[in-house]
Amino acid sequence: MPAPPAHRLRFLIAVALGAVLGAVLLRGFVSDASRQVADEAQERQAVVTLQALTSLVRRAGGEGDAVRSAVAAWQSRTPSAPQARVFRADGIRLEASTAPDDAGDRAAPRRLRREEKPLYDRSQRIAAAVQTNREEQQARKPEIEVAPAGARLSLAGPLEKNGAVVGIVEIETAPLPLPKPAGWSGFLLALIAPIAVFGGLAFLLGEKRLPLLAAAVVCVAASLSWMGRAAVSELAAQQQRAAEQVAERVRDQATVTQAVATAQVLPGAAAAPGSWDVDDFRQPLGLLTPDGSVNPQRLAQAVDTAARELRRTLLGAGALALALLLLVGLGAFNLIGRSLRRHRQAYLYIAPAILGMVVLVFFPFTYGVTLSFTDSNLYNTGKAISDVWIGLRNYADILGDFAFIKRGDGGSFVNYLNFYWTLLFTIIWTVCNVTIGVVSGLILALVLNTRALALRPIYRVVLILPWAMPNYITALIWKGMFHQQFGVINQVIQLFGFPAVSWFDRPASSFLTALATNGWLSFPFMMVVSLGALQSIPADLYEAARVDGASRLQQFKAITLPSLRPALVPAVIISVVWTFNMFNIIYLVTGGEPGSSTEILVTQAYKFAFERYRYGYAAAYSTVIFGILLVYGSIQNRVSRATEA
Amino acid sequence: MRTLLGIAALALAALASVPADAAEIVVWHAYRAGEKSALEKVAAAYNSSHPSTKVSTLAVPYDAFADKISAAVPRGKGPDVFIYAQDRLGGWIEAGNTVEPIDFFLDPETKARFIPTTMEAMTYKGTVYGLPLNYKCITLIYNKKLVSAPPKDSDELVAIAKKLTDKGAGRFGLAYAYSDYYYHAALQNAFGGYVFEGGAKPAINNPANVKALEYLLKWLDKDAILPAEPSTALITALFNDGKTAMIFNGPWFLGEIASNVQYGLAPLPKIKEAGDKPMRPWMTVEGAFVAAPSKNKDAAYDFIKYLTDKPAGIIMALEGRQSPANQSAYTDAKVAADPVLKSFHDQVEVAVPMPNLPEMTMVWSPATTVMNSVTRHAASPKAALDAAQAAISKDVAGLRKK
Repeated sequence: MPAPPAHRLRFLIAVALGAVLGAVLLRGFVSDASRQVADEAQERQAVVTLQALTSLVRRAGGEGDAVRSAVAAWQSRTPSAPQARVFRADGIRLEASTAPDDAGDRAAPRRLRREEKPLYDRSQRIAAAVQTNREEQQARKPEIEVAPAGARLSLAGPLEKNGAVVGIVEIETAPLPLPKPAGWSGFLLALIAPIAVFGGLAFLLGEKRLPLLAAAVVCVAASLSWMGRAAVSELAAQQQRAAEQVAERVRDQATVTQAVATAQVLPGAAAAPGSWDVDDFRQPLGLLTPDGSVNPQRLAQAVDTAARELRRTLLGAGALALALLLLVGLGAFNLIGRSLRRHRQAYLYIAPAILGMVVLVFFPFTYGVTLSFTDSNLYNTGKAISDVWIGLRNYADILGDFAFIKRGDGGSFVNYLNFYWTLLFTIIWTVCNVTIGVVSGLILALVLNTRALALRPIYRVVLILPWAMPNYITALIWKGMFHQQFGVINQVIQLFGFPAVSWFDRPASSFLTALATNGWLSFPFMMVVSLGALQSIPADLYEAARVDGASRLQQFKAITLPSLRPALVPAVIISVVWTFNMFNIIYLVTGGEPGSSTEILVTQAYKFAFERYRYGYAAAYSTVIFGILLVYGSIQNRVSRATEA
Repeated sequence: MRTLLGIAALALAALASVPADAAEIVVWHAYRAGEKSALEKVAAAYNSSHPSTKVSTLAVPYDAFADKISAAVPRGKGPDVFIYAQDRLGGWIEAGNTVEPIDFFLDPETKARFIPTTMEAMTYKGTVYGLPLNYKCITLIYNKKLVSAPPKDSDELVAIAKKLTDKGAGRFGLAYAYSDYYYHAALQNAFGGYVFEGGAKPAINNPANVKALEYLLKWLDKDAILPAEPSTALITALFNDGKTAMIFNGPWFLGEIASNVQYGLAPLPKIKEAGDKPMRPWMTVEGAFVAAPSKNKDAAYDFIKYLTDKPAGIIMALEGRQSPANQSAYTDAKVAADPVLKSFHDQVEVAVPMPNLPEMTMVWSPATTVMNSVTRHAASPKAALDAAQAAISKDVAGLRKK
């Protein structure tokens, strides 16, 4: 007897789960965004303070008593940054300090103590960053370091004299105010309202599946969109407030520096205070006017961008919540749960294997695919993945570059680093190898299958030997045999009076060496497979054919080949995949020589990762290789299923 | 019961005799044979004279060494000190949290004790990251039976070499791996060539590099004193058979010279066409580095300072057969009397440290292509270098773009 439908209950649970997930995610993202705005405002204010002090130190000549008194005067008027230090790299000298510890016999000026190495290293790092950015004419390394120090921020920026970095100015802010947590009322409302409303609607609608579904989706979507809308406008207001705070700090620091400069009679003119609002690379953010008030147009733009970004994130979260609702509401989870319960034992048995697969296969695989969407390279290995995210650009670079023949002044030449050239080469390499393997393996199998052959077991063992040796050893031996001067192959060639060939100098001859090596390695497998299949062909088939007057060739075509097919097709499929990714042979025998012309896709990916240090690009390359093999595999699967039938 | 207590008390006493705060310094290196035992001897000497520190050394197979450092050190699983050549230094610094800057510890006296160029190899963007331990570079090695006095300049070199060359009999006056960019760099530097300019901007197609390649072609074609396709194996065979009189090679080659060959060492000749400037080989400098995540950086620095001091340098030179970077080690009577150590010390005067920029890894493959195509006359020096410049610039830009 089928159970009575319980759509209402199930949809109620689904709405509750969807609303909880949606509200929790939304709240998480919104408070993240709001904390980011708050942090950024604090950081910008601190940077403004640092830049103001730096300009003051520079005007005071960068060293000596003038700097010390200017810093002290500035400190007495700046409670927002309770300590400041000026460090000069020449002489490893603490030039000025208002830190409470640096009093008495530790008062500036003095040489740094041994335990103050971090300050020195920081100065060196910043000087190197400024130099690097200048040389590369781009902003790659942060010139202002912002580091959290407990609840405070510690900032350091370069102190320059005549364009050269001579030290750093470092400040520490007052403990930052804790960010105000977002209110709970909106969250609770977004949680309770859809459940209550849906409860009422469900009562009215009765056990009808489609109307219930529509009502559930509408309830959750409406409440989440209301919550999101409120959050976006709240964020805009917060950004407005943050901008005003920064502007206020700029004006405050402008008066402070002005007052100090007048009191100390410092030379030089005051810089435009609006220019103190810069990013880590000391590039102006442009959100303030030169005199330090908020630039409404630029602010509106910034608010717009941030709102658009938040809206996109929230839409994603909402979609996730709705997906959960649908899955639960339409009974998918119910089904999975029932299956888990029914086949408890089976799932228990495969659990260890699944765990192993997750750790050893799925995690690295997912990580690799994720990496392929980033610009991860040697310079940014320490950064979070979201900071180096570049979307599909790696794929566009790899797949969008069709220029594999380039025209230079010396005629046209092949660009061996091009993906399509390497793909073409890999396909030629695979086809040649599999052909050689199958043909030679089959011929040897036919020979070994001769009944009256003496010493057959010995031949068989000898012919399997190449397969039994580790393939990198075989590869190195073959590489040695192709050596231009001492290799046995050239010795033989010279024996017949021909000049020695330098095998690795031309793409074609270099390809031949790899082909020979891999041919040597691949025939035993094909031979064993064919031999097994040959021996299982019943002899009476041949007898009957002979009685009917079939020739040897006819027998081979009509009996041997069709009987071999079920064994050979899977072997060929496997060996295509092996050869396609045959890293060892190419890497060890030709090494891609000459000039990367004999690289296959995997060795090329390896070189992008470990010679050119472009990890993200190499990951994208590997993902493309995976895609190619996936397409190949699925087509092969279909074809071989057809052959089985 | 009483005996048990007694044993416990004894054990406690034994534990207490080791200072509780003994800093443990783990050193990773890739040395074998003589170099390894020399390093272990220095470490043992340090341990006996510094009871508050315990240094232990661990030999790591060379093939895996660099990757092991890259993987283990930034995650805090590595040693406190490691020894490696300067070519990977830039990469490790850019990757971060691997090599500790030691500029701050470094006093002027310590800095002054090293050959200045070896110190330069340890410096990256103005900051010193390690203390130089030893250096390797190529020099002129000649067969004393065939050459009575080694050539001082290129004219003499060509004159001697021409006399001794007989291509039909497979004899060559001069042989070296000239199509290997590392070896060619000596000639390139004589003409004032370089790979990077203004920091890390690739500039391999500069006019000096073109001139150096054209000069190499003169030796190869006009003077015809060089064998074709000079593989390392070929050079070894020619030198040991007495079929070549002079080669340019480094300390690693000395072990391969047959015992019946009487050889001498001399500085690489001056090049007349380069304004009488000497050939300046690239040198690799092995340095001792403090690992950034080490918990005992002070003690680690103290050890590498000891390791690169004069007494340690003498041990490493005489027992490890290394050329120490510490200048004062050469004032030792035994070191000064050693002809090999002295010759390499003479050569290092003009040697140039190989760039320690991470961008250098992107140079090797295009540069090899240049050398192969130019020495086989498949391209003119200028065209080949222009192509290499384009390839290197593209790779470097690919690495740096944001």
